[in-house]
Amino acid sequence: MNKGETSRRRFLVATIAYSGLISTGMGAALLRASTAWAQSGNGNADELTRIARLLYPHDGIADAVYVEVIDSILSDSVNDVSLKEILNQAVTALNAAQNGNWFEIGADDQIKAMRVVQNEPFFAAIQGGVRVRFYNHPKVWEHIGYPGSSVEFGGYADRGFDDIDWLPEDA
Amino acid sequence: MANRYELNDSSVVVVIGSGAGGGTVANELAQKGIDVVCLEAGSRMTLADIVNNPGIMNAKMGWLDKRIGAPTWLCKTVGGTTVRWSGITPRFQEHEFKPLSTYGKLDNTTLIDWPITLDELAPYYDRAEDRMGVSGTHSIPPSAETNEFKVLKAGGKKVGYKEITSTRAAINPVARDGRPGCRQIGFCWSGCAIGAKWSTLYSEIPKAEATGHFELRTKAMVVMIDHDDSGKVTGVVYVDESGDTHEQKARVVCVAGNVVETTRLLHNSASSMFPDGLANSSGQLGRNYMRHATTSTTAIMPGPVNFHRGTRQSGLIFDEQYHKPERGFAGGYLIETSAGDPFGIAQSVGGWGESTAEYLENYTNLAATWVTGEDPPQASNKITFHDTERDQYGLPVPVLNYEFHPNSEAMYAHAAMTSKKLLESLGGRNVTSVKGGGGGCHNMGVARMSANPRDGVTNRWGQSHDIANLFVSDGSVFASSAAANPTLTIVALAIRQADHIAERMSRKEL
Repeated sequence: MNKGETSRRRFLVATIAYSGLISTGMGAALLRASTAWAQSGNGNADELTRIARLLYPHDGIADAVYVEVIDSILSDSVNDVSLKEILNQAVTALNAAQNGNWFEIGADDQIKAMRVVQNEPFFAAIQGGVRVRFYNHPKVWEHIGYPGSSVEFGGYADRGFDDIDWLPEDA
Repeated sequence: MANRYELNDSSVVVVIGSGAGGGTVANELAQKGIDVVCLEAGSRMTLADIVNNPGIMNAKMGWLDKRIGAPTWLCKTVGGTTVRWSGITPRFQEHEFKPLSTYGKLDNTTLIDWPITLDELAPYYDRAEDRMGVSGTHSIPPSAETNEFKVLKAGGKKVGYKEITSTRAAINPVARDGRPGCRQIGFCWSGCAIGAKWSTLYSEIPKAEATGHFELRTKAMVVMIDHDDSGKVTGVVYVDESGDTHEQKARVVCVAGNVVETTRLLHNSASSMFPDGLANSSGQLGRNYMRHATTSTTAIMPGPVNFHRGTRQSGLIFDEQYHKPERGFAGGYLIETSAGDPFGIAQSVGGWGESTAEYLENYTNLAATWVTGEDPPQASNKITFHDTERDQYGLPVPVLNYEFHPNSEAMYAHAAMTSKKLLESLGGRNVTSVKGGGGGCHNMGVARMSANPRDGVTNRWGQSHDIANLFVSDGSVFASSAAANPTLTIVALAIRQADHIAERMSRKEL
């Protein structure tokens, strides 16, 4: 991994972390980003959305959330050449392994193809970018039972910080 | 009432940094009536600035300047990393002050014994625990038992551990010293929004200001320490918020920038008299960099734990902290709890696909341990500086070189095994351990104390071997890492150092 790629990955992970960038108000701008991506001949944003779901597959999470995550990354790539390059590399590499048709094959084969390239720097960059956006997304939090900020509710001192009830009696 | 001092007032003690070491040494000196100017690179938050959001808080207080190599998890803000820390405050054990005598020579280490003993530090541990309000000491009750602590305790008992405690946290179980009791908010790492957790931001700094012998200058990045022809330090050069450079004269200088900045500042202050940097005639400055042998282990438990409810770290097990060479490594480790938010968990369990998603699907049932163990010093673990890359101050970018020692590898493997056993004893499954998880929050050793000036940068008081009125007041002075979380020991050493400086000043020796 060269230095540029390392710092790119750090950027994705560190500065986007929890930034709350994803909000419904950004919808229009995000839509433009994915359209621009598709129109500039980079392939379909659906491929990236598929990658996002295979990275972190949760049946109970609607496609719309994965689409939002990818659109947020694409929106950042508009003014970021190296990020755009990373996304291109990913799509190109996956397709190269599958005669240009990674998106069309079955999930198991798609995952196999991803495993082949998972140690490539671009893969870590996309994984980091998806992870930080996806697992900080309010709909994902709701789905998995994480409520987020608690200080406005007085913390958990009176709301179950010690309510565990299944531990063995003898312990 | 906060004071103001003239730049050319050479009677003041200048303290660089306002975290555990700097904030403490500054307050202790001010309490004795000694005039102190504290220079802090970051800005000053109030409790109202603290929100339950790690990303927003990292942008507000994280040390985000460019660094290369092993990542650290430090803060540029008034209070330093005491704003972010977990509050766990175990003492070092007696043998941990004598690692070379106890463990013998380990290959490829630079082990030395500390020039002080536990007996000498014990009274200062006592004062530090009182200052910080450590649960289970000074008639302070134990910390409340959170869900995750109950898992640690139940699992610990199942596998035969005896010394399991919810004490030793510098988080008020009940109101004390002007700070409220813990509300189990669960975002200790974002800063405690109510100030229940000890931090120099709202404990030592305001107390120092109240003495009338203290001035805090924020957004003041110290770039160099000056000295005279006799080799004594005379003042420090800093850049303020507008980019203007000033020199504050000083009678004594205490450096507490945490290991990376402490090393860089002394390194950058090189002169014809001190060509390898200040206090570096030994060549040991920046070397012997230790981070603790850390391991985080996560499991899916058979029922809800909801570890996001309550303190991030809520208790510990002492049983593995002893030196038992039959385990295959020197030194020992502590087993602590460690909660995480969904993103943090996805990051710490790593990987992708079904197995990672399964963890997050079971978020409410997760439990985790975090292990901190002794990490022996190595000459090759060191902080150096990039030849050409410069940061926004024009300073060379730090490069952090760090590799696990085989002893730490063996300890990691053992800790992963015991943590797995503990979590599985209660029905935990999908147990995943990450070597080095959470590493980089404990940084030690780059200006270590040594009896022999050839072996280290500072003496038993944290005073530099080379320059009488130059002190190091942070974890850089640790001669070894021990197993324990370092903050309590940093504070105890800073209190002791302040006593020493005051005494030497009263005798006109400084």
